[in-house]
Amino acid sequence: MRLLKPWIFSALMTVGQLLAAQDDTIVFTPQWTAQAQFAGYYVAEAKGFYREAGVKVRIEHPTVTLPAMSRMRTGDCQATTLQLCQAIEMVADGTPLVNILQTSMNNAMVIISARGKNPLKQKGARVGIWSVGFGQLAICMSQRHHLDYQWIHFAQNVNLFVSGVLDATLAMSYNEFYQLRQAGMEISEKNVYRFSDHGYNVQEDGVYMTRDYYLRHRDQALRFAQASRKGWEWAAAHPEEALDIVMRYVNRDRIATNRVLQRLMLKEILRLQLDRETGKREFRLRPDMVKQASRLMKENLLIGREVKYEELTPNLLPLTSYL
Amino acid sequence: MGIIHRIRRSLSVRVSLWVVLFAAGIFVAALSFLFYQSREAIRQEAINRATQILDKTSLRVEGILNRVEVASNMTRWLVEQHTDNPGTMFVLSRDMMLNNPDFYNCSIAFEPYHFPEEGLYFSAYTKHEGDSIRTIQGGSDSYKYFYMDWYLMATLSNKPCWTEPYIDYDAPTGTYEMVTSYCQALKDGDGQIIGVINTSLSLNWLSNTISDAKPYPNSYSIMTGRGGTFFVHPDSTKLTCQSIFTQSLEHPDTAAIALGHAMQRGEEGMKRMDVNGKYCYVFYKPLGKTGCSMAIVCPESDIFSGFNRVRHAVTSIVCAGLLLMLYIFIRVITRELSPLHQLAEEAEHIASGQFDAKLPDFKRIDEIGQLSNSFADMQQSLVRYIEELKDTTAQKASIDRDIRIASAIQMGMLPDKFPTRADRDDVQLYASLTPAKDVGGDLFDFYFRDEKLFFCIGDVSGKGVPASLFMAVTRAVFRTVSVQESMPHNIVMTMNRTMAGMNKIHMFVTLFVGVLDLPTGHLHYCNAGHDAPLLVGDGIGQLPCDTNIPVGFMPSWKYTPQEAQINTGTTIFLFTDGLTEAMNREKAQFEMSRVNEVAARALAEKQQEPRQLIDRMTDAVHQFVGDAEQSDDLTMMAVQYIRPKSDVLMRERISLTNDVSETRRLNAFVEGICARLQLDNIFTARMKVSVEEAVVNVMKYAYPAGQRGEIEIEAAANATRLRFTITDSGKPFDPTIQQQADTTRPARERAIGGLGIHIIRQNMDSMNYERADGRNILTLRKTLPPLTANKVKKLKG
Repeated sequence: MRLLKPWIFSALMTVGQLLAAQDDTIVFTPQWTAQAQFAGYYVAEAKGFYREAGVKVRIEHPTVTLPAMSRMRTGDCQATTLQLCQAIEMVADGTPLVNILQTSMNNAMVIISARGKNPLKQKGARVGIWSVGFGQLAICMSQRHHLDYQWIHFAQNVNLFVSGVLDATLAMSYNEFYQLRQAGMEISEKNVYRFSDHGYNVQEDGVYMTRDYYLRHRDQALRFAQASRKGWEWAAAHPEEALDIVMRYVNRDRIATNRVLQRLMLKEILRLQLDRETGKREFRLRPDMVKQASRLMKENLLIGREVKYEELTPNLLPLTSYL
Repeated sequence: MGIIHRIRRSLSVRVSLWVVLFAAGIFVAALSFLFYQSREAIRQEAINRATQILDKTSLRVEGILNRVEVASNMTRWLVEQHTDNPGTMFVLSRDMMLNNPDFYNCSIAFEPYHFPEEGLYFSAYTKHEGDSIRTIQGGSDSYKYFYMDWYLMATLSNKPCWTEPYIDYDAPTGTYEMVTSYCQALKDGDGQIIGVINTSLSLNWLSNTISDAKPYPNSYSIMTGRGGTFFVHPDSTKLTCQSIFTQSLEHPDTAAIALGHAMQRGEEGMKRMDVNGKYCYVFYKPLGKTGCSMAIVCPESDIFSGFNRVRHAVTSIVCAGLLLMLYIFIRVITRELSPLHQLAEEAEHIASGQFDAKLPDFKRIDEIGQLSNSFADMQQSLVRYIEELKDTTAQKASIDRDIRIASAIQMGMLPDKFPTRADRDDVQLYASLTPAKDVGGDLFDFYFRDEKLFFCIGDVSGKGVPASLFMAVTRAVFRTVSVQESMPHNIVMTMNRTMAGMNKIHMFVTLFVGVLDLPTGHLHYCNAGHDAPLLVGDGIGQLPCDTNIPVGFMPSWKYTPQEAQINTGTTIFLFTDGLTEAMNREKAQFEMSRVNEVAARALAEKQQEPRQLIDRMTDAVHQFVGDAEQSDDLTMMAVQYIRPKSDVLMRERISLTNDVSETRRLNAFVEGICARLQLDNIFTARMKVSVEEAVVNVMKYAYPAGQRGEIEIEAAANATRLRFTITDSGKPFDPTIQQQADTTRPARERAIGGLGIHIIRQNMDSMNYERADGRNILTLRKTLPPLTANKVKKLKG
C-alpha cells in the first residue's frame, strides 16, 4: 500500500478541518462498510445517545477502495475506527492521533489455510491480505517465523480464497471467518491460526481523532466517546434490538450480507470487547498491548520508531477518567 | 360397545363387513400398486422435464460464454501484439464492445507503471452508456483494479477464468447489474504477466431465464456461485446476501449442506429434501465454466399435485363405494334374511310351548325356503313327538307308579320283622336290601319251622323289573319247596328243576339256602353259585362252599349238601355281590378284603350282632362309594346263633321192633321218664300220645309189610327241655312234611296219618326230621316246666 506524501496529507487535512470547524458535526467513519462491527455507534445514533450527549455525529462509511484512514487524512471525517496497529503506523508516520475510545480488548485476526493445512507449515504460501491496511501483525508473524508468505492484497471479500487461487487468507474472526463458513468451507482448529492464542493478542478497534482536532474539540470528543460507549453497552445488553438497528444500516447501504452473519459478528465483537484478565468490557487501551504491538512492528521494520502509549492518549491521562 | 354388540348380534352386518373388508383389501392392494407405479412415472417425468430445462439453459449459457471467450482470446492476441502502445488499448477495448453489443464492459488493465508515462494505473475501460459507448482510463486511487478479484484471479491462476458474479453499480444510470467477468492474463514476449483483459457479461438475462424456468406452478430456480451465494432466487433479499449454507451457520441442515457442496463441485443430479418444511425435489446442474450452478426446486406437492388429486378422488370414490356397498349389502342381506327373523320369532313361540304357531310361507325355493320347509316339517314332527312324548310320559309315569308299587310289593314280600335276643333265646337275625333301581333282583328270606331256621339269600341276574319278577318267583318257590323239604340241597334242587323248567328268558339266580337247627346249632346248607357267607365268631372265616351252578340253568344239576356246626355267639354274615362290587367314582370296588376288615373290627369291638354288623357294613360301603351312583343291588343278612349250651340231666334209651304191640313198652318208657322228671299227668299223657303217634307211624310206614325193623327211642332232658329222638333204618320218611289233618272235616273224610302228625304238633314244641347214615331220625322237643334246683340236683345224682 502506498501512502500519500505527508505534505499533501497536511494540506488536505487543513482544508477538511476548516470545513469541519464551520460545522461542529463530527463525521465518524468506521473502517469498513456497515456491519455489526460498529453496532455500538449505530445504536448511539439510532437511540439518540449522541443527541443526548449534545454532540452532532454523522456516520459515513468508507468505500471499498477509500479506507477510513485516508478519509481522516483528507479531513473527510473527524473520527474513525482504527486497529491499534494501524494507529501506531499512522502515529509513527507522523500523524498524531488520540484514542478517545478503545472498544476491542482482544485480537480477532486469524489465518485460515485451504485444504485443512496448518498455516504454520505453509512456507511461501500465497496468503490474502486486506489492501486497506490491516494485517500488520500477520506480516510480523510471517517474518518472525520465517514463513515468507507471499502477501496477496485484495480489495473485496473471500471470493479469491474460495476460488482456490490462494493458499491461505487472513480473516477476522467476526467477519471473514463466518463468510468463509457461509461459502461452504469446512473450518476446523487444524487449519486456523488465531493470533490471539499465539502471543499476538493486540487490541484492535478503537476510535481515533487527530490530536489536533481533539485538542480543539476535546469536550465534543469526550461526549462523542461517552455516547459511543453507551451505545456499545446498550448493544451488549440488547443484542437482538441492536441487530435490528445494524440491519437498518446494512440494508440502507445495500451491503451484501445477512442477519445471520451479522448476528454472529455482533456476538463475536461483543466477546472480543471483554478483557481476558478481568472478563469485563473495559473500554481502555492497554499500555502493554501498545508496547507489544509497537515493538513488534518496529522489529519487523513496519515502522521507523516505537510509538509510546502516551502518544495515543490525550494529555497523558487515561480516557476512562473522563467517563 | 354398542357397535360391537350390534355387529355380534347381526349376521347381515357381520357378513357385509367381511365382504367389504375383503373388497377393501383387494382395492388397497390394487390401488397401492397403481399409485406406486403412477407416482414413479410422474417422478420420472419430473426428472425429465427439469433435466431438459437445465440442459437447455446450460447449453445457452455455454454458447454465450464461448462467444465471450472467443472474442476475449482474439482481443488478447491483438493486445499482446501492441504492448508498447497504450492508445491501442483504448481502440481494442472499444472495438470489443462495438463488435459485441451484448457484452457489458471490457477492461484491458495493466500492471502498475507498465506504461511509465501513464503512471500507477492504466486500464482501457469501455462500457455501454445508453446507446453510446464510452471508453475511459479506469484505474484510479478510488479504483485500484489490481486489487480486484477479476485481476487477481487471472494473474494468480495464470489461466483464463470466470469470476464469481458480482453486482455492479452503474453510477450514470443508477442501476445495478449482475455481472460475471471472463479474465485472462496478458503476457509479454517473455511470458511475464503484464496485465489482464477482462470481458464482462451481464447476467440479468441469465437471471431472467433461470427465474422463468418454472416447470411447476410453485417451483422455482436458483443459481449459486462458487461460494454458494444466491445469484438467482425468488426471495430477492437473499440475492448476493445469503448462500445456500447461511441458515446452516446457526442451524446445521445436512441436506442443504450436501446440496451446496454438490453444486460447488459442479456436479449434476437430483436430491429430495426438506425445504422450508416442504419436501421438494431439487435438480441441479453446473452452468458452463462460470463456477455457478443452477437448481430447480420443485415442491413434491406440485409434482404430484395431479397425481394427488387423482389419488384423493379415487380413494374417495373407493371409500364411498365401499360404504355404499356396505349399506347395500346390509340392506340386501337383511332383506334376504328377514324370513330367518320371522322363523326365529316363530321358533321362540314354539319354544315357549305354542307348538301350533303358524309358520310363514315364504314361497322360496332357495336355502331359506328349504329351511322354512324343514322348519315346518320339524314343527309337525315336533308336535307329533310332543304328543308321543306326552303318551310316553304318561306311560312312564304309570310304569313308574307300577314300579313303585312293585317295589313296595317286593319289599313287602321280604320279612321285615327280625327276631332279636328279646324275641328268641336261640337265634337273632337282621337283613337289609337296597335295590340299585326302584325294584331289584336281590332277595333274602327266612322263617322258622319245627325249631329250624330256614333262610336264603340270592341274587338274580340282571336288574329292574325282570329281575324283580324272577326274584319274586324265586322267593315264592323257596317258600313252597322248603315247607315240604328240610334239607337245603333238596330244596335247591327242587327249586332248580322248577325254575329251569319255566325259565324262558334264561335268567338265573345265585342262591344260598341254609337250615339252622336251633336247638343244636347245626347248620345244613347248600350254595348255588352265591358268595360264600362269612362266619364272625371265634374269628373271621368263610363258610366252605362247594362249587355249584346258580339256580335256573340246568334242571338236572345235582347240588351238594353241606353242613357245619355253628357255635353259640357266631354270626353268619350273608351278602350279595352288590357289597363286594360296590364302586366309587374311581371305579374301585369295595372287595372282600374290606368286608373282612369291617367284620374284624366289629368282632374286635364285640359288635358282631346282626344289626350292628350290617349297620357297620352299610356305613363302610357308603363311605367308600361316596356320591357315586349305586351300581348293583346291595343285600346283607346276618344270623347269630345265641343259644347257650345246657347240661343233659338225664338220658335213657329203649329199643323196639316194628310191632305195634311194643307200644306198651313204649308207654311205660315214656311214663318212666316223665315220672323221673316229676311231670304231671296231663303233661305225661301228652308226651305218651305224641311219642306213641310218632313211633306207631314209623312202625306202620318205615318198613315194608312183614319186614322186621328196629326202632330206637332216646329220651334226654336238660333243665329246660325234654327231647325224644326216634331212629329207624326204614325207608326215608319225613313226617314233618306230611299233609296235616284238616281237623275241621269229619274223621272219615281225612287222609290216613295226618291226624297223628297234627296231634304231635299240638303237644310238642317242635318236630324235626333228619335222614342221616341211612336212618330216619325224628326229634320231638318239649319245654319243661321250670325245674326246682332240688329236682335238678336229684336228676344229676
